[in-house]
Order: sequence, then structure tokens, then C-alpha cells
Amino acid sequence: MTIETNELILSLQDVTKEFLSQERKFTALKNINLFVQKGEYLAITGKSGSGKSTLLNMITGIDHPTSGSIKVRDVTIGQLNESKLAKWRGKNIGIVFQFFQLIPTLTIRENILLAMEFVDVIPNPDRLKRVQDLLTQVGIADQADKMPASLSGGEQQRAAIARALANNPEIIVADEPTGNLDSKTADSINSIFSSLARSGKTVIVVTHERNTALKYHRIVNLVDGEIEVQNSQN
Amino acid sequence: MRMKLKKTFSDLLVSPGRTLLVVFALVLGIWGVGTVFVSYFVLANDLNANYQSTNPSQVVFHSNQFEKLNLQQFTEKPEVETAELRDFSLQRIEISPNDWIPLWLYGVEDFEKFKLARIFPETEKRAPDAGTILIERDCKHITKIDVGDSPRVRIDGNMLNVKVSGICFDPAQAPATQDAFIYAYTDKSSYKKMTGLPNNQRLIVRLNNVHSDEDVKKVSDILVKELNTNGITISSVEIPKFNQHPHQWQLDTLIFLVGSIGMLAFIMGAVLVSQLMRSVMASQVRQIGILKAIGGSQYQVFQIYIAMLLLMGFSAGIIAIPLSVASGYAFSYFVAWKLNFNILTTSLPVFVYVMLFAASLLLPVLLSFGIVLKGTSISVRQALADYGISQKVSLREFKFSKRISDSSSFILAIRNSLRNSRRLAVTIMAMALGVAIFSTGFNVRQSLWNLLSNLKSELRYDVQVVLGDQVSREAALRPFSSLQNVKKIEMWNGGRGQIQSNLLSTNKGAGIVVLPYNSELLKLKIINGSWLSSSGELEIVMNQQACDLYNHPAVGSYVILMIGEKNIKGKLVGIAEQFEKPKIYMDIEKYDSLFNPDHLINSLMFVAGDHTYEKVVELKREIEKSIAPTDFKVLYVMSQAERVKIIYDHLNIILTTIVLLSFLVLVVSAIGMASATGINILERTREIGVMRAIGAAPKVIYSLFVMEGMVVSISSILLGLLLAYPLSQLAAIFFGNLMLGKEAILQYAFSPSGFLITLLITLLFGWLASRIPAKSAVQIPTHKALSYE
Ligand SMILES: Nc1ncnc2c1ncn2[C@@H]1O[C@H](COP(=O)(O)OP(=O)(O)OP(=O)(O)O)[C@@H](O)[C@H]1O
Ligand SMILES: [Mg+2]
Repeated sequence: MTIETNELILSLQDVTKEFLSQERKFTALKNINLFVQKGEYLAITGKSGSGKSTLLNMITGIDHPTSGSIKVRDVTIGQLNESKLAKWRGKNIGIVFQFFQLIPTLTIRENILLAMEFVDVIPNPDRLKRVQDLLTQVGIADQADKMPASLSGGEQQRAAIARALANNPEIIVADEPTGNLDSKTADSINSIFSSLARSGKTVIVVTHERNTALKYHRIVNLVDGEIEVQNSQN
Repeated sequence: MRMKLKKTFSDLLVSPGRTLLVVFALVLGIWGVGTVFVSYFVLANDLNANYQSTNPSQVVFHSNQFEKLNLQQFTEKPEVETAELRDFSLQRIEISPNDWIPLWLYGVEDFEKFKLARIFPETEKRAPDAGTILIERDCKHITKIDVGDSPRVRIDGNMLNVKVSGICFDPAQAPATQDAFIYAYTDKSSYKKMTGLPNNQRLIVRLNNVHSDEDVKKVSDILVKELNTNGITISSVEIPKFNQHPHQWQLDTLIFLVGSIGMLAFIMGAVLVSQLMRSVMASQVRQIGILKAIGGSQYQVFQIYIAMLLLMGFSAGIIAIPLSVASGYAFSYFVAWKLNFNILTTSLPVFVYVMLFAASLLLPVLLSFGIVLKGTSISVRQALADYGISQKVSLREFKFSKRISDSSSFILAIRNSLRNSRRLAVTIMAMALGVAIFSTGFNVRQSLWNLLSNLKSELRYDVQVVLGDQVSREAALRPFSSLQNVKKIEMWNGGRGQIQSNLLSTNKGAGIVVLPYNSELLKLKIINGSWLSSSGELEIVMNQQACDLYNHPAVGSYVILMIGEKNIKGKLVGIAEQFEKPKIYMDIEKYDSLFNPDHLINSLMFVAGDHTYEKVVELKREIEKSIAPTDFKVLYVMSQAERVKIIYDHLNIILTTIVLLSFLVLVVSAIGMASATGINILERTREIGVMRAIGAAPKVIYSLFVMEGMVVSISSILLGLLLAYPLSQLAAIFFGNLMLGKEAILQYAFSPSGFLITLLITLLFGWLASRIPAKSAVQIPTHKALSYE
């Protein structure tokens, strides 16, 4: 696979993250430098505790680095306040969690509509159609009116991906999105991500499955908070 | 907005029990405040409005020289708004065969045109026919006399039948029922014919530009002087409380009571709402994290939960506002009936509803604003981390549950109760407050009962006959020689109460009671010194109220008492505690030898052979019968039993309210406790699942929670009873002052029955409060309990 464009969308420069736990300083990320192109399909791998989730949290602005800077396009994340950050995140980054994290009291359709309502970039009249399109895209068009609990894990994760796409963000970020699914279901989820990348989205996925690495443009392996190898595929 | 609202709605429905509890708590709080608000709005206005509608007199002058007064000129004085010569005398009326009570008889100038002290006709007759009377409606509570009847009326020595030609309403008067007398009104010429008394000896006046008691006093002093220069000597001046109904104090007490109870209900409701909201927010942490992760700003997330509160407030308002209006009015009508006035505010202005509704919407928001703000300000990372930890069944819980097998469940119950120490503290405090107030209600009630029974034990005669004139002993005894059931008759000078004080009193206004020093019929509680003895000197005993009047002379010192022109020097030998006007007691033999050579007396104290209530009342009737043919000027004949009843009636309305309302507080706080325990158990549903999964039998879990509830309620009872002691003491002082006047002493008393009732109810509630939620928690299947959020 190749990246169609050559447009820098995300850059991390000298990002270091330290945690203070019980008076002891723990460095979870050390001088991370990472540059991601638009349309890139990037995997982040590493042992448990190596800092994968921490790195994703830096990218989404859920957590802030101790030093260094993170830029998405022209926006330096550290300069946004909490409320602006939430809006910005909703508009620019779609997040997919390991445990799906749908709002249990809303239907699948409503979950997606809620995300649109929060960010308010999709015009009101277009929303219902867009929800339907997204659900078709992830293959659960017929489940729109069901409650999350009545869906299988794979279906819930598809719904979560649809929700991540709600506001048409440029970047999709997923933390072990298939960690809770059987391998067959995992494959179908992964194929959704790769088709998203093909359609021009930047997709960053934290994963354990090194063997399926082939389909990624690039794999970043973290060892104790540092990037070990940066090898380009093809 | 739609999806946010949708979420709000569906979240409310996720745990309908909890939502109902919050709404219920809000209903309680709003109902409490609303009832107070509505009844205050109605009562604070209406008693006074009733009173003012009569154009009440502000000062009353007595003189037997008003024939020299030009009323027209007098009313034209700049100080005087208006005036009338309204006749008045105290007579007696028979309300059922041989049962006589005082009759306050008024002679009215013009029933068609009242300038002041207006009365309102309640039957078609605006004015009584010549020779007949209108009676005041409040007497309906104590007599069957009605329009067309001709009850017997005793005027001085004469007996006559006076026809009742109508019923009227006089809201300026103290309700007649409580004092067991009747107000009656007739025209002036009938008054003169009926009573044989001269007209125009009493001038009632309203003044211009007066704003206080002092103003009235000042102006009336001027008027007295002016009248004097015109040759009219004013024998006495009465100034009623300025612009205030005589029983305003009772209303004030009631409003205070309702107010404090309403506030308490509100506080309890508030505590409940914020506790519940805290638990709602705690269970929403993960979702808040997700909402923010997918682009919700804190403000947007905040809106969801505020909408939740508004919705609950709205539902609570819908229920609580009609309740408030109903109970506020019910209370107002009850009070109006008791205090004999009309409810004038029959419909509430729109702003009252608007305020109640605004309160319903805003209260929950205000109460939980901080909690919601804090809950929604959690960062995404924290929120999701929180979930991460709890997703894996926590090790702590696991260890904890394992302990069931090797630790006694009592210790476990205590430890569990202590887990959420803040909620526990709030719960126990709220419940303890309820217990304390309930217990205080009973204690104050007990204090009042003690007061009444002291009264019974200190006065050991059964019937007292008080005459308006002094008569010789032989004359006094003559009519009663053939009475049955009389063990003994003692004769005194002076006696109990206000009327007695008027007969024989010092110039400072202390009533003199002259009785045999060794009388068995009066046993006062002496708090300093001793009772009268047979020593050579003139000894006196004062009650505390008299002591106040004489600036607290030392026991053993000599006190000079002025009685009219006479000076009495007596040695103060003792001070007595008594629920009475200021009184001074002295021995009849010494008094007579100094001041009363003819041994005249004015009170007869009868001791019955058979003390049962029926026999005493019968004796009283017989006494009345014996008096009927004589020309005695009788002031009153009263049995002790009745007197105690009159005092009791004054206090009864308040006693009943105290106990009822404090019960309400207890119930409300018990509900508070129940729901707190409920939330506690609800939140631990997953823990229950874990316990079940590792093999704890439902019975074990169940008894664990019930035990927890008991630990909480027992702690509340202990703390509540501790609190009740100082609270009861304060309440005794407060109610003593409020109800019985400054001079009254109301002693703290412990009510054993109240204690027992408190104990039982609190334990019962504690048991129910943990039983019900524990039962439902245990019934949840293990796999569901494990996935409970
Ligand atoms: N809030 C925190 N406070 C202290 N230490 C933390 C915190 N968050 C993460 N860490 C530590 O930082 C390190 C990296 O954590 P991170 O969650 O990024 O690992 P991970 O690679 O995602 O692991 P896994 O594959 O198990 O999800 C870990 O050692 C973790 O203990
Ligand atoms: Mg991780």
C-alpha cells in the first residue's frame, strides 16, 4: 500500500510524558518524534505498559505531554483550553475504544446523532441521512434502532467506528479496537479501518497483532516509552 | 439539543427507583417549603385583616361621669379618629342546665353603623330585637344555644331569660371557647333594662396618627387630662395590644412551628436530593468521559445533567405544588377555626404559584449544582481510567468479600457502613435531627402536662365560688348548708387568676390571697424559704412573678405592701413557683386582725367527698342551684377540673401540632435514611454479584445489609437522644415564654412514652430502610449484578 498524498497532518516533536506516582517519577514516553501523513494507516505496537495508550492520549489531547509539542495541521493542541479541545477533538479526531463505549441508554442511531449534536458541523437536515450512510459503510444499517446492549461485540465496534466518523474527522484513532473480539470479527473490523485509510482518512491503531502488520503503511513499535524501529512498508 | 434531552430522559429511566426517590425527596422539600409559604401567606395576612376589619378600639376609658361628655366634640379632636360609648359588664349565662359561664355583655350604640369595634352579623338579623341579644359565633364550640333560644342569664342577684335573636362574628375578640365564656351584644336601652346598670360608663376610642403602644399611651394620657379639666374623672384606662389580635401569639407560635418543620422537611429533602445526585454522578463517570471524548464540551455535558435536575424538579413541582396549596390551606382553615377568624385569602395570586414553580425548578439545580459541576469537570483520562479499574473486578472488593467467611458479620457491617463516611455522616445527622425533634416534641408535651398536673396537685379544692363583694362568713355559708358531697368549705379572701387580682391587690398589681396558714387546699412548691407559719408576725409568701414585681426581696426581709390607702408590712418567708399572675399569700387570721375586723370573705373553697370528675361537676351544678335563689353577686363558680381543661385548651392546639409535626420530621428523616441506605446498597450491586460468585449465600448478604441499616439507625438514635436533651431544654424555655408569658416557667421533662415511641419507630424505619433495598439487591441474578454499573 502507498500513501496517495504527501501532506503532513500530525507531528509530535520531542514529546515526553512523566507520571508522578507515589513520589516516584515514571517516564512513560521519552522524546517521541513522530510525523504522520494524510491518508496514512499507522499501527502502534509494543508490550503492555510500553506507552501505547499514553501516546494516543497525547494525540487526542486527552492528556498533555510534560514537554514537547503536538500539532495537528496548524493547531498546537497544548494551546487549546478544555472546552475548545473537546470541540476540536470532536471535529478532527474520531476515537474508537477497546470496550466500544457506546452510551447504553441511546440507540445506535442516537449515539451517532449525539456526537453530531455536540460538535455541530454537520448541518441538521443532513444528519439522519449521514447516520444511515455511515452505518451502511460499517455494515450495520439494519441495526440503527437497537440498543447497544443488544448488539454483538463486533457490531458494537462497527457502531463505535460509525460514531467516530460522525463529524467526518480527518484522523481516526483506535486503542486496541479488536482486543475484545475474536479473530474473524477482528479481521472485518480491520478491513473497515484499511478502507477508511484508502478513502483518505488518517488512521492510527494501537494493536497487539503483529502478524497482520502487512496491511499497515507503517508500524511504530514502542519499547519502554521510546520508538524502536520506524520501518516503512514497501 | 434533541439527543442530549433524549439522553437525559433515558438516563432518568435507567434507574427508575432512584429517579423516583429523587423526585420524592424533591416533593417532600417543596411540599414542606410550599406549605409554609402558602399558610404563611394566608395566615400572616388573614388574622390581622380580620382583626383590622372591625376597626378595633385602641384605648378604653372608664368613668361614671361621661354624661358630661360631648361625644361629638370629643371625636372632633385632632387626636381622635372616632369614639363610642360602648357599655360592658360581666354577667353569667347558663349554657346547659346548671352549668354557668361568664357572659361578656356589650351595649352597642348602633348596629347599622359601626364607627369602630364592628361586629358582623352571621344570621339575617343585623341588630338584636329589643330585649334580646346577638351571641358571638365561637360559643358554638361549647354550647348548643342557638337563635330563638332563651337561656337564663344571671345579672347580679337576678335571674332572667334572654332571647337570642341572632349570631354574630367578632374577630377582634380572643376566641371565647378557649376561655370558656360567651360574648353577647344588645342595644343600649336593652342593656340598661336587662342589667339595671347605667349606660355610658365606658368610652372606646380610635386615635389618629398612633403607631405604637407608646403613642397610644401618650395620647391617652393627654386625653385623660383634657377630660379631667372638663370635670370627667377617668377611673381606669385599658390599652389593648396595639394593632394586634389578642391571640396573635398563638398564631405566631403556630407559624413558627410550621415554619421550622417546613424548613426541616426542606433540609431533609435537600440532603436526599444531593446524596442521590452524588450517586447518579458517580455512576455516570465513564459516560461523561465518553461524551467528552467524542466532542462534548463540559458545558454540553453539564446541560444534560442540569436538564435532568430540571426535569425532576418539574415533575416534583407538578406533584408538590397542589399538595402545598392543599395542605397550606388545610392548616390555615384549621387555625382559623381554632382562633375564630375567617379565611379571606381564598385564592392565591399568580405570583405565589410562579414562585412555587420557580422554586421547584431551581431548588434541585441549586442543591446539586456543585455536585454536577464537579462530576462533569472530570477529565476524559480520569473518567476512562476510573472505568478501566472498575472494569476488572477490583481486588479490594474481592478480598473484602472473602472476609465474610472469617470475620464476624457485625464487624463487617460496621466496616461497610464506614465506607462512604461522608454519606454516612449526613445520613446519621439527618436521622439524628429527626429523632431529636421528635423526642423534643414529646418532652415539651410532657413539660406542659407536668405543668397541668402540678396545677392539680397544688390546688386541692374541687370547686371555687368567687363573689364580687365581701360578705360575712355566715352569709356566705348559708345557701350551701344542705349540699351533698361536701367534705369541707374553706373561706378565703382573694384567690387565683386575673379577676381575683382585681378584687384584692397591692398598688403594684400583685393579687393578695388571704387563707389559713395551715390550709390543706393550697400546696405550692416552695423554691426558697418556707410556707406560712403560725409565728407572731405577719408573714408573707410571694410567687416568683410577685417577686419580680417587687425587685426580688430577700427571704427574711420585710416588705411594705400598699393596698389602697393601707400599708402592710410583712416578713417575706418564702418564694413559691407557680403558673399564675403575681400573687402574695398571707394568713387570714393575722390579716383579719389587722385589716378586716368583720372577717368578711369573698371566696369559698369546696372540697368534695367524692373527687371523681362527674361528682365534682355535679357538685358544681348543685352549688349553682343553691346560688340561684340568692342575691349573691357571683363572679364565677369553677371546678378545678374545668380550670385545668381551660388551660389545657389554650395549649392543646399547640401540643397537638408539636407532636404531629415532629412525627412528620421523624418520618421524613427516616425516609432520608432509607434512601441513603438504598443508594448505598444499589451502588454495591456489583459487589453483591462478586460475593455471590465466590459463594456467599443470599441470606448472608441479606443479613449483612440489614445489620448495616441497624448500625446506622442505632447510631442515629444515640446521637438524636443526646441532641434531644439540650434541644428540649431550649424548647421548654422557648415555648414557656411564647405560650405562657415571660413569667411562666416550663421545666424540662423527659417523656418515657415519647422515648419508647421514638426508639421503636426509628428502629422500625432503620430495619425497613435496609431490608427493602437489600432484598431487591439479593434478587438480582449474579451475572447481571456483576455487569451492573
Ligand atoms: N495516570 C498514570 N499515572 C501513573 N502512571 C501511568 C498512568 N498512566 C499510565 N501510566 C504508566 O505508564 C506506562 C504506560 O502506560 P500505557 O497505558 O500507555 O501502556 P500501554 O502500552 O497502553 O499498555 P497496555 O497494552 O496494557 O494497554 C505504564 O507503566 C503505566 O503504568
Ligand atoms: Mg493501553
